Amino acid sequence: MPQKKISIRIDGELVTALEGQTILQAAQEAGKAIPTLCYLEGLSPAGACRICMVEVAGTERLLPACTTPVQEGLAVTTVSARLTQYRRMTVELLLIERNHVCSVCVSNGHCELQAMATSLGITNTRYWYDFPTLPVDMTHERFVLDHNRCILCTRCVRACAELEGANVWDVGGRGIHTRVTSDLAQPWGESPTCTSCGKCVQACPTGALAEKGAAVEEMTKRTDRLTRLAGSKRAQP
Amino acid sequence: MSPILDIAAFNSVREAGLAKLVPTAPRVAIGMGTCGRGNGADGVFNAFASGIERSGMDVRLVGVGCLGACYQEPLINVRLPGGPLLVLNQVKINDVPRILHDLHRGTISPESIYCKVEAWDHITGHISYGRGYPDVPNWDEVAFFKGQKKIVLRNCGFINPEDIEEYIGVGGYQALYKVLIEGRPDMVIEQIKAAKLRGRGGAGFLTGNKWDFLAKAKSEQKYIICNADEGDPGAYMNRNEIEGDPHALLEGMIIGGYVMGATEGIIYVRAEYPLAVHHIQRAIDQASEYGLLGDNILGRGFKFNIRVVEGAGAFVCGEETALIASLENRAGRPRPRPPYPAQKGLWGQPTSINNVETWYNIVPIVTKGATWFSDTGSAKSSGTKVFSLVGKVHSTGLVEMPLGTPLKTFIYDIGEGGSTPGRAIKAVQTGGPSGGCIPQEMFDTPVDYESLQQIGSIMGSGGMVVMDDDNCMVDVARFFIEFTHSESCGKCVPCRVGLNKLLRILNGITRGTVGMRDRLEAMEELGRMIRDCSLCGLGQSAPNPVLTAMRHFRDEFEEHLRAHRCRAGVCQDLALSPCENSCPLRMNIPRFLQLYKERRHDDAFLSVIFDNPLPASTGRVCQHPCENRCRRTSIDAPVNMREVHRRIADEILFTDRFDDLAARVAARKLDASGRKVAIAGAGPTGLTAAFYLALLGHDVTVFDEKSEAGGMLRFAIPEYRLPRAVVRREVELIERLGVKFVFDTRIGFDIPLNDLADRFDSVFISIGTWKESWLYLPGTELKGVYPALPFLESSAKKEAVRLGRRVAIIGGGNAAIDAARTAMRAGAEAIVVYRRDRKDMPAIEEETVAAEEEGVRFMFWSAPHRIIGDAEGGVKALEMVKTRPGEYDKSGRRRPIMTDEIQRIECDTVVLGVGETFDTDFCRASGLALQEGGTIVVDRFSLETSRASFYAGGDVITGASNVSNAMDFGKRAAKNIDERLMGESRWEAIFPTFVYAHKVPDEPNHAARHVSPALAPKTRAKTQDEVVVGMEPEAAWEEAGRCMRCDIKVPAGVS
Repeated sequence: MPQKKISIRIDGELVTALEGQTILQAAQEAGKAIPTLCYLEGLSPAGACRICMVEVAGTERLLPACTTPVQEGLAVTTVSARLTQYRRMTVELLLIERNHVCSVCVSNGHCELQAMATSLGITNTRYWYDFPTLPVDMTHERFVLDHNRCILCTRCVRACAELEGANVWDVGGRGIHTRVTSDLAQPWGESPTCTSCGKCVQACPTGALAEKGAAVEEMTKRTDRLTRLAGSKRAQP
Repeated sequence: MSPILDIAAFNSVREAGLAKLVPTAPRVAIGMGTCGRGNGADGVFNAFASGIERSGMDVRLVGVGCLGACYQEPLINVRLPGGPLLVLNQVKINDVPRILHDLHRGTISPESIYCKVEAWDHITGHISYGRGYPDVPNWDEVAFFKGQKKIVLRNCGFINPEDIEEYIGVGGYQALYKVLIEGRPDMVIEQIKAAKLRGRGGAGFLTGNKWDFLAKAKSEQKYIICNADEGDPGAYMNRNEIEGDPHALLEGMIIGGYVMGATEGIIYVRAEYPLAVHHIQRAIDQASEYGLLGDNILGRGFKFNIRVVEGAGAFVCGEETALIASLENRAGRPRPRPPYPAQKGLWGQPTSINNVETWYNIVPIVTKGATWFSDTGSAKSSGTKVFSLVGKVHSTGLVEMPLGTPLKTFIYDIGEGGSTPGRAIKAVQTGGPSGGCIPQEMFDTPVDYESLQQIGSIMGSGGMVVMDDDNCMVDVARFFIEFTHSESCGKCVPCRVGLNKLLRILNGITRGTVGMRDRLEAMEELGRMIRDCSLCGLGQSAPNPVLTAMRHFRDEFEEHLRAHRCRAGVCQDLALSPCENSCPLRMNIPRFLQLYKERRHDDAFLSVIFDNPLPASTGRVCQHPCENRCRRTSIDAPVNMREVHRRIADEILFTDRFDDLAARVAARKLDASGRKVAIAGAGPTGLTAAFYLALLGHDVTVFDEKSEAGGMLRFAIPEYRLPRAVVRREVELIERLGVKFVFDTRIGFDIPLNDLADRFDSVFISIGTWKESWLYLPGTELKGVYPALPFLESSAKKEAVRLGRRVAIIGGGNAAIDAARTAMRAGAEAIVVYRRDRKDMPAIEEETVAAEEEGVRFMFWSAPHRIIGDAEGGVKALEMVKTRPGEYDKSGRRRPIMTDEIQRIECDTVVLGVGETFDTDFCRASGLALQEGGTIVVDRFSLETSRASFYAGGDVITGASNVSNAMDFGKRAAKNIDERLMGESRWEAIFPTFVYAHKVPDEPNHAARHVSPALAPKTRAKTQDEVVVGMEPEAAWEEAGRCMRCDIKVPAGVS
């Protein structure tokens, strides 16, 4: 059944969208960039990072572009002083939560968090750093999990479950003590379900998941391959 | 029991149930909810059981739910055949034999009865128990129940929750029967829509609309869920409802299941509510047995089942998508909506989730109709709501009130005001961790969804936590953030990291480790961001307690941040001990007590004088807030700190030790700074500032319009309370530090302020409230009407005042009492007229008692009406209007309301002691900004005025206050002036240090509180001799030993 076409406004501009699309998808198709972190095209949206919050006419509340479906007549504002302030604060909060020391990070220069901070003009944080003491899981023969760099976007969890079907990753603990866990909180290297496919590593926006042997700045991610893979999987009957 | 399949079977169960409720034998029903059991209801039940067995009496003993009056637990109700239901409160095991004896006798002794119920409207049915006991108040005449309307709690406390027959007996399951027979589900939904019932979980979504969504959803499987995951701190109405009346929930859900076309019902209840789980499970079993659940309900062919799922206690599982995740055996984390549960809920099927209390309202609406329901409550919020009224309120418990009832009704009428005498209620927290703090000024707010939201709070599940002066609002905000922080699921960034950050800042404030002013702005910004950006209701509402506390109690936040002070004494890291924290001068009280106990009298004196430069005066006239906070009170009575400190001061000031110790104080002076400071006013504020500024090495000159130093201490407080010699001696010590005094010189008149600015580096204005507020009464122009202060001043100067034989004094403050006692000493009769109650008087209690002893008469609840003159223009009589107690005002006292009754007393003199004010007009001319009331505008913390290098403090800032508050201003002004003059803080350098024992006494001194002896009332009332004679040295030594040393902090885990 062909999807119904509807009209919405994004930042004042009239845009045609398909029913069932999210605001983010409609905006991207119209060539409008809404910043995202936990969203990865091809994976189900999580709505966790709150970077893509947008203003929608008629409601006081901000809505995440990645999970909110479009409706006929919707009028969205993607850039405003308030949104920019909140996006900056969100990134600041992520930066202070864990030990994001770019200068010694494998993903330095190729990190989505770093790029987001740069694009938002963040040069310092106004809150104290937390400096938590976090482990690094080196048990896997090919990959490393460094909790110090994790922003809990759960892209690894979704990539593993939705693209590989292995369900190695999940989220354990709660609140500020939330951690990504492999299987039943076992060391990654002992996971009987991991296929060592490396999709999680490619999905990870920061240096939290990396290939062993990569030195500072050497870890580049190919998220586009995951998106393509997801597209071809969906195309299969 | 076989399933009920027809109306005859149903009716026979109903008859049986009714017979159990109104038996022909005596019935004793024990409130066995968790609250009752917590207060010993189990023991009472067992005592009754064995007592009944032993005596062989025919008494029906059952356990019932709770009536709501938690502060009266254990509650039981007893009924003798034909008589009313009698509710007995706070029943102990020891009372059981007496009650059994009464039952045997056939009459209950009226003095043990809390209230009676002659007839009860169960909504689904009506029971007339019987009449009698005319002297016992009916239940709705008891303050706690007055105005309550029991719709949700219609059966709680009356029926046995473990017996389905009793529920059917009061008309239960009749609504279900009716709905099934009528077979028009759409009509029921219309009825609920028309009733305007709104979800009782907090958000207030219209239940009828919610039901409509599910009814219209097309699916093989549809679920309805009862959300009993009640988790707000301080809210427990859902627990009580399920414990006391589980079948009403089931009936509501079965009706809901039928009209929405659901296939299964699930009750998601906290595992922490074992009794509720037990009762609801038993109710389900019984309902299935009686054919009210199962494949063929009431023989009408409707199939429906309900099961119970116990939640593990995560707060976030109260959020509907997280609750569904939990039911699906996944971690309780919310997901973004849409899709809404009505579209895609449990196992992907359409689902409707309603709060426990919403379900309880279904049966009444079906039974009585939509109009009946919407008649109760306000226009947009119909019906009633159960609130848990807890905290610092006298009567606590579950209160069911019509929506729209103002907050003050809950707190002052039902709750009967504060729980601790002398503490004013300052706020109520509604809606738990998602709600906000509402200050006392806003207690007129009606409690409904919209009104509470407007002022930044929410109704939530109905928690109402009342707070008074002993609660620190910063700590309250911190507590709720700590709660939501630990309950955050961790999925979205604002809630996970933002709350952590907020908690860290709040922790820093309560521990005194952050001092930056912009922290408040940062917290507000963060709070708004968490509110606007979080994924689910938990995060979106979590900052409410902080945002509202900061909005309404910003003072407290600033005081913590800038002065490192917690007035409530809750934030322990900011205080040395409760007494030190309550002292305006923050005297190290445990230190001087310990030094005196070690018999180091010189050191004790130095400890005192460096904290408080007027120790002998304050030792006589301070209001001693320290005693109100003393922890010794929990054993017997507070330590008499003021009198010990008077003793310490007197021992040095009035003996040959004076010269030596005055020299030792002067030896601590810092080198001369070359800076000159002028002080306007030689009252306690000015003297204190002069003392410290001189010690800091500045050249200090004090100006005063009077001819002697001391201000109010010298000229307002009578000789018999504070002898002149005492003030003179203290001033002498200050003079020895090099302070110069210029008397008979009025600043702003004799010397313009601008001149002072030229001659001095800094000016401190600390003039007193010498102007008496005038009371505009007919007759005040008559001869023989005096304002209290000039009257006291004249007698202090030993000037002749024409005093008659009968003096009436209007007012209840210290000036009024002083005036009365002075009049007595001048040989007159004195009568004090006060418009409120005795306990509301601002005067020091000891002084009031002393005045009574000396023969001063008091008339309370009397407001002056007019003064009647005689032919010569003198006073003949005073007419007063009788007042009666009205509503509570901001000070926590009842406002006096005028009545029509006029009283008259014959008198020839009237003294007006209704408050003092000041004259600050001269300041305006010199460019100092004034507030509307005439007080000088200053920064609350630095005491800087609007003009550079000018400072002001004392009564001129606050209005008339008391000695120690005034001195506190002097102390802080000295610190700030010095810091500004010298560019650095040198404050600590002037204080000596002391080495003394830091050990908690193994055993506190068991001596009773020592009181300083006083002269006999008869002899003293005729003289100006000091009334209170100082304590004997040994008594003072023993008194010092009564201190429990709260200043010693032992790290956790070390004993």
